[in-house]
Amino acid sequence: MAAFKQDLFRNLLLGLRARTTEAACPFDAMSLQERKRAIKCSADVAMAAARRGVAGAAIGGRARWPKAILAAAAASSSSHSPGGTCKVRKSACCKRRVARRRVDAKRTIRGYAAAASCDVARRLVRRRTMALRKVIPGGSAAAMDEAALLRETMDYVVHLRAQVDVLRAVSAAVQRSTFLGYIFVLHFVDPMKD
Amino acid sequence: MSSGRRGRISDDEINELISKLQALLPESSRRRNASRSSASKLLKETCAYIKSLHQEVDDLSERLSGLMSTMDNDSPQAEIIRSLLR
Repeated sequence: MAAFKQDLFRNLLLGLRARTTEAACPFDAMSLQERKRAIKCSADVAMAAARRGVAGAAIGGRARWPKAILAAAAASSSSHSPGGTCKVRKSACCKRRVARRRVDAKRTIRGYAAAASCDVARRLVRRRTMALRKVIPGGSAAAMDEAALLRETMDYVVHLRAQVDVLRAVSAAVQRSTFLGYIFVLHFVDPMKD
Repeated sequence: MSSGRRGRISDDEINELISKLQALLPESSRRRNASRSSASKLLKETCAYIKSLHQEVDDLSERLSGLMSTMDNDSPQAEIIRSLLR
């Protein structure tokens, strides 16, 4: 996982750099929210790209969520505006969510007709499974069986945790460097000399 | 996900995957051994866990964004960050 985190971090820097040059908008000039969106989207793309780079174990080759993230990012970069990337992804998710609700209703009606207790449990599992598909990138689109979804979930959770670790380390480092910068200024710049 | 398709994958395989998934979740949400009913609880917890991770990413992105804005533009560390991103 250490190698993955390094790849993620490197990809994150490359992605942020590309984003600022593409948009011809340096980070300083962005609003807080624009910068936040840029960081968040770059982090997701960085995570997906780092995952695809891992030399394929059988499981790695079958992971769908990186492709889903990269496809969504590629689709939104064509319609480029400072907030474009994440806005497009959000609306796609909403469309999927509406479709899901309609399918749920059909299944619930069929479920009431059955009315056995094991059917109730099965319905609950089905509903939870559909909820899980919504939070996993590409989970709603692909035709995955239960086993594949569970494997996909585990893979995504592990790498999502790594993304959190990298972002935490980066913000701690920036925070430290800002703090050290102040210390440097206080210690080594003699206010008397000027 | 019809019952026909489920027939092809053994219950054992599903249970094994479920216990592996359970091992990934944070300590506080560890429950009893997997059975039909707690399978749905596990899926619910997994969903909640993923959402909480997403929220963390969101918060950290916001924090980073804020940190970058509070940096004095003439400071050495701002120049370092800028050169990394150039």
